[in-house]
Amino acid sequence: MLPFADTQFVEATWIMIVKSLVIFAIVFGILPILTVVERKLIGRFQHRYGPNRVGPFGILQPLADVGKLISKESFRPANAVSTLFILGPLLPVLSGVLALAIIPWGNVQDGVGLYGIDVPIGILYFFAVGSIAFYGMLLGGWSSGSKYSLLGAMRSAAQLISYEVSMGLALLGVIMMSGSLSLVDVVEAQGTIWFVIPQFVGFLIFMLAGFAETNRTPFDMPEADAELVQGFMTEYGGMRFGSFLLVEYMEILVVSGIAAAMFLGGWMGPGPGWLDPIWMLAKMFVLVFVFIWVRATLPRLRYDQLMSLGWKVLLPLATLNVLVTAVLVVTT
Amino acid sequence: MEAVLFFIAAIGALGGAIGVVAMRNPFYSVLALIAHLFSLAVLFLMLTSAFVAAAQVVVYAGAVMVLYVFVVAYVGGGGEPAWDPIKGQRFLSILVASILFVELSAAVLSSALLALGTHGPDVPAGFGDPAAVGRLLLEKFLLPFEASSLLLLIAAVGAIVLAGRKREEETV
Repeated sequence: MLPFADTQFVEATWIMIVKSLVIFAIVFGILPILTVVERKLIGRFQHRYGPNRVGPFGILQPLADVGKLISKESFRPANAVSTLFILGPLLPVLSGVLALAIIPWGNVQDGVGLYGIDVPIGILYFFAVGSIAFYGMLLGGWSSGSKYSLLGAMRSAAQLISYEVSMGLALLGVIMMSGSLSLVDVVEAQGTIWFVIPQFVGFLIFMLAGFAETNRTPFDMPEADAELVQGFMTEYGGMRFGSFLLVEYMEILVVSGIAAAMFLGGWMGPGPGWLDPIWMLAKMFVLVFVFIWVRATLPRLRYDQLMSLGWKVLLPLATLNVLVTAVLVVTT
Repeated sequence: MEAVLFFIAAIGALGGAIGVVAMRNPFYSVLALIAHLFSLAVLFLMLTSAFVAAAQVVVYAGAVMVLYVFVVAYVGGGGEPAWDPIKGQRFLSILVASILFVELSAAVLSSALLALGTHGPDVPAGFGDPAAVGRLLLEKFLLPFEASSLLLLIAAVGAIVLAGRKREEETV
């Protein structure tokens, strides 16, 4: 028996392989589109057109970008540590792909569960694989042999551990209300009301911590172009830089997926069963739009503001939310 | 499949543990410790304790080791030994290590661990689930659980008090 095979619904191995390939292919098809969507939207927010030269409406821009990145020389600074320098961009990709497995696209239909895996530890799996991504940034920053990279990596270390706690606590309310860690069960528990309404505070904290975890504005301290010249990825070029960049979009997709499943009713929506994954994708895209909207709107926080927001506002608020939810769940 | 996974994880765990003490650069020692912790998590998974494995990765590899890395990358660099070796250190260390090894072996062998068999223990359905672990912690082991959480709270408060006092001295 394989370690994760102790799931709630057992399937044949070939079904699981096909599922993984389909999820992988769809998400990696979405990622390049996401980059051009973001640039288009930010252009609109700033009264520009955004990319509009490559292909109709600029939709072939990501192909041009990837083509350019792949054809670049894989440059490495002389004082970089070579093995760790190569390992750096690989770990976040691994973490992102592993996290994709847990996003539920629908419940069991015709004997096939529309999700990668439905493990009993559920959301803990997301936090466990998420912690791998951090080491990628850190190894990349440390092994580059550049002070900007090291500073960026150190900032991301401090930021990630500060916001991971609030992120976990924000989800605890939802978990208490649904009585299960499994994302499929959590979505099923939202048949009457989406958890975003009773757990609105939790949703806000989760999204704020999500901005910080994905290194997005207003919490993009690790990259901070103006002061750190892209932080931990300063010394990277070519497709190694490209994978750091694409992983950021993958993390946005994963955080949006988790938020949609935990708070926005996941695949729930009117229409026949085969629409479920489409509903899930639509909700994810709404949240991705929020990510882009926030990036276009808010300036970057100062480092001490970031830390005090995390520890002095979000953490107490999340703890209070857990306490109130616990009392309400027990009394009602 | 299971045997292959076991040997990969076991080699990772042992190699990581040896790496921690053998590496000259403290940064590599920390990396070896991280590899060791991840391998241990895989071993926990194979013992059908998914919750313990996840907690291992989230708490140790995800939070504690981040702090280690943080400190070593900032302060470390190493090079010079922190203190002179104690006289007879080598002999004493071998002696103490072999005593510890014998003691641990005796403890493991005499406890008649079911997992020591070739086929592993028979576990009931839902073994190692968060629900099962939570029930054990809050029903059977309530007192030790509360005592350890109190201990952690005291440690946290103590850390804050110590850190706060230092800052006051600096500003004066």
